Amino acid sequence: MKRRIPLIICFAIGILMIIQFMIPHPISREFGSTVNKWYIVLAAFALVLAIGNLIRHHGTKIRRKKTNWPYSIVTLTSMVAMSIIGFAGGVDPKSLYQTIYLNVLAPLGSTMFALLAYYMASAAYRSFRARSLEATLLLAAAFIVMIGFMPFGQYISPRLPAFAEWIMKVPNMASQRGIMFGVAFGSIATALKIILGIERSWLGGKK
Amino acid sequence: MKWYEAISKIDRRIIYLLLTVFVILPFFVPFKIRQNIMPQTQRLFDFVESIPPDDKVVMISFDYTPQTMPECHPMAIALLKHCFARNIPVLGLSFDIQAPGLAVEAFTTVVNELNLKASNYDDSLFYGKDYVYLGWKSGFTAAVLDMGESIAGVFPRDYFKHPVDSLPLMQKTKNYKDVAIAIVLSASAYPEYWVLYPQSRYGVKVGAGLTAVMAPKYYPFLQTGQFSGMMSGMKGAAEYEHLIVEKGYTKKLGRAETGMNSQSIVHLLIITIIILGNIGFFFSRRDQKQS
Repeated sequence: MKRRIPLIICFAIGILMIIQFMIPHPISREFGSTVNKWYIVLAAFALVLAIGNLIRHHGTKIRRKKTNWPYSIVTLTSMVAMSIIGFAGGVDPKSLYQTIYLNVLAPLGSTMFALLAYYMASAAYRSFRARSLEATLLLAAAFIVMIGFMPFGQYISPRLPAFAEWIMKVPNMASQRGIMFGVAFGSIATALKIILGIERSWLGGKK
Repeated sequence: MKWYEAISKIDRRIIYLLLTVFVILPFFVPFKIRQNIMPQTQRLFDFVESIPPDDKVVMISFDYTPQTMPECHPMAIALLKHCFARNIPVLGLSFDIQAPGLAVEAFTTVVNELNLKASNYDDSLFYGKDYVYLGWKSGFTAAVLDMGESIAGVFPRDYFKHPVDSLPLMQKTKNYKDVAIAIVLSASAYPEYWVLYPQSRYGVKVGAGLTAVMAPKYYPFLQTGQFSGMMSGMKGAAEYEHLIVEKGYTKKLGRAETGMNSQSIVHLLIITIIILGNIGFFFSRRDQKQS
């Protein structure tokens, strides 16, 4: 019974949501809107779970003094401090919350991402070698797209930007579309397997 | 060590140093290169140009994070300047939890700049009348679908806790019928889902501003017309800045222009070191074959 009821709910809601998406009748739209509102509320609970999980994970790390445990103190302190500042002082453009966000979190996030440029440049230099025909083609396409999309590209040759655009619009688009079709068919198959009760791992992983 | 071995084994610290110098250089030695406008950026610009003033809103979904701020934030600034210059009301919202702070910053920067230049009360921009920021909402797919029925139903209060029904702009913006285009500024798959759900169900027009690494994935959406235009990466932002300057909506180019100069020089550096590495590799392989 514990497994049968969730399977019945999944089947019924799955089929009803497919039908309501196709029928723009007021009753069908009202039903869809109500289910969507439930979903929004349920999704918000995921955030509560995530916060609980974060506290438990880092709490355990601090208690057992695992590797890099002082960073866990920073994480939890930051989370609590930002929550208090946000709730107490609001989130207006001139609030303390917004000031900390723009002057601490934003530069830290940008810095972390900017470090990738160094690793990418170093990795590209070391590994981007014309070892085979395929690698040479990849290298040539990358050069044409990089130079073609740079503002300098048009001065090297006026045809270069158009050629770079052709690479993106023809070979790239063909492969992207192929991948998209594959993903779409896979998604449909997985959704049908879940709705029809063939795929049951979401119930707890037991057969 | 032979010369070709040396150029294929450059110390990574030298590469890091060169990269740093090349990124910083354009900030101290500014130069201007004319941007070659890509068709997808021009399409998005033309679409916004075709929207009648004081009519439907432009919905901007701020779904980028501080990590991708250098690419997406200048897009947001340029778009807001374009819309406000043409008296098109803007409705902002976010589905990425890190984005609201950046969205508020974009609105504040542009509104303060334009209000300083405003010659009279009518030229000034006001929250609730000219623009609204709804804030963040969980359950992305359900929320974007349900906004087709009622935006106030999904966002009963805006980011600053005002009841949405009390804002003049929201009294005339009920659902997607009142939205000219939804432009999604993102570093992830959000634009795709805007096409899959609200566009297929309610026919809402979708535009996108994406990081350069995401852009190739979305070319099929441009070809089919599901995207009404797209800005790709910092280049897309710089192109949009050029377009609004050329049209006379603003006099100064934004941050993307300087960023693009750094990016162009760094691309040249990367191409050069890759070529050097390959020359070294080619000669080393020839040596190995001969011996």
